[in-house]
Amino acid sequence: MQTATHMLRTGRRGGMFQLQMALRDLRNSFGRIGLAWSLAWHDIGARYRGSILGPFWITLSMGLMVLGIGFVYANLFHIDVNTFLPYVALGIVFFGVMTGTINEGCDTFVQAAGMLSQTSLPMFTFVWRTVFRNMINLGHHLVIVVGVLAFYGYWRTANIPLALVGVVLMILNASWASLLAGIASARFRDIPQIVISVMQFAIFFTPVFWPTDRFSSHRAVLDFNPFYHLLQAVRGPLLSQPVGAHTYVVLVSMALIGWTVTFAIFARTRRRIVHYL
Amino acid sequence: MTVSITCTDLTLRFPVYGVDAKSLKKALARVVAVGGALGRHAGVTDVTALQGVNLQLQAGDRLGLIGHNGSGKTTLLRALSGAYEPDEGTIDVHGRIAALLDLGLGIDPTATGLENIRLRGRIAGLTSKEVEDKMEEITTFTGLGPFLAMPVKTYSAGMQARLAFAAATAVEADVLLMDEWIAVGDAEFQKLAHKRLLKLVERAGILVLATHEAPLLRLYCNKVMRLDGGVASEVVDIRKLDELLARDAPAVAQIA
Repeated sequence: MQTATHMLRTGRRGGMFQLQMALRDLRNSFGRIGLAWSLAWHDIGARYRGSILGPFWITLSMGLMVLGIGFVYANLFHIDVNTFLPYVALGIVFFGVMTGTINEGCDTFVQAAGMLSQTSLPMFTFVWRTVFRNMINLGHHLVIVVGVLAFYGYWRTANIPLALVGVVLMILNASWASLLAGIASARFRDIPQIVISVMQFAIFFTPVFWPTDRFSSHRAVLDFNPFYHLLQAVRGPLLSQPVGAHTYVVLVSMALIGWTVTFAIFARTRRRIVHYL
Repeated sequence: MTVSITCTDLTLRFPVYGVDAKSLKKALARVVAVGGALGRHAGVTDVTALQGVNLQLQAGDRLGLIGHNGSGKTTLLRALSGAYEPDEGTIDVHGRIAALLDLGLGIDPTATGLENIRLRGRIAGLTSKEVEDKMEEITTFTGLGPFLAMPVKTYSAGMQARLAFAAATAVEADVLLMDEWIAVGDAEFQKLAHKRLLKLVERAGILVLATHEAPLLRLYCNKVMRLDGGVASEVVDIRKLDELLARDAPAVAQIA
């Protein structure tokens, strides 16, 4: 049993105290990280309950999309399928996980309303639930990633460590955005629509489907697009393309600033979130 | 470890967000209209749900909460569960808390009864293995047999109550917080539930039960407290229930 045996709640206020409480929430969520994991698996199970392939529907539908877009766009852009299909496959898979984490973040607290209003479970448990659910999705997509890389001869085991660094940076950034979306969505009903629209816009403005050399005259679209850097940090290493040092600078500073700001907002709103719902 | 609940000058205010307050457009419009000086409480109503509540309970206490709708009974239970934080004063609870305030807690209507028991157990802090160890006891107690393999959305309210009650009380809790839905379920289930509740209290636990029904209070509680508009009366012995209820009369007469 890990259930807390002592609960003390006070009416103390003040920035320092709120920050302390927010940190305690975070710490407690790590103490019960297994619960977030169970909830995430429960969500995946619920989504595909009674279906033949179960969660592997995720893999199949993603695989079909990759094939479709890969072949059609390769012809449209007159690019060699052998180089373009792996590029698009990685783009769709990793961008999808990123948008999934952020879009589903809008539901994090709204979905947990019942539990938040009668238990002292940490708020962060539900943030990790959303993040883990998308990690599980990514796990299912890895079949495609590995398959495509191997089939088109891009697989280099030496590339994996750097790609993992990219994945970690992507998760770090997507999770603060997810938490921020969760808090804002609990408070304002318009936020989920806004988030979805922004992410939809981003998928076309980011080189997910199109090769970057087509846009060489408009470097700004790439350099000032955080999603480009997020994607490049994972896709670049896997395709044996060099990743610029500035990409890592952007991603690390984005993670630091994003988490600092979001955590400050969380500390301020934490005790009110349950009333928003 | 001694089980106890202590509330000192507990005051709880919370903002109630109307439809207007949930709209980003209206919030932005206000900023523009007021020239950036967004009124802090624009569109938000502040409600004082509990005011200066003092409460002291020890092992073996079974407290009944009475009061009209909206008098703060459920808010007090939620505060004791740790979900609501006080604006003033403190809440200090020693012991493992189990709250049965809402049948829907952690219940996924599309999942089966068994899956929901597992989920509920995990939420209550059990490991997967501990949940499996308790599975048989819980399933027997629900008396739902083959229905447990069916989605909860196909259950009647009484069946859902059985499931939720069985799952929630299977976890060894020291403090049980219950809203009045315990009255749901048939006579047979009520008898089972009663036995289980008494056992829990015998294990030196605390029960806090909010209800309107005097018979239910007499059945479960040995102490009673009345809430009126968030203000609590003193805690009195259950034998003085009629006296406490009678205090109602003048207040009601005034409104009428």
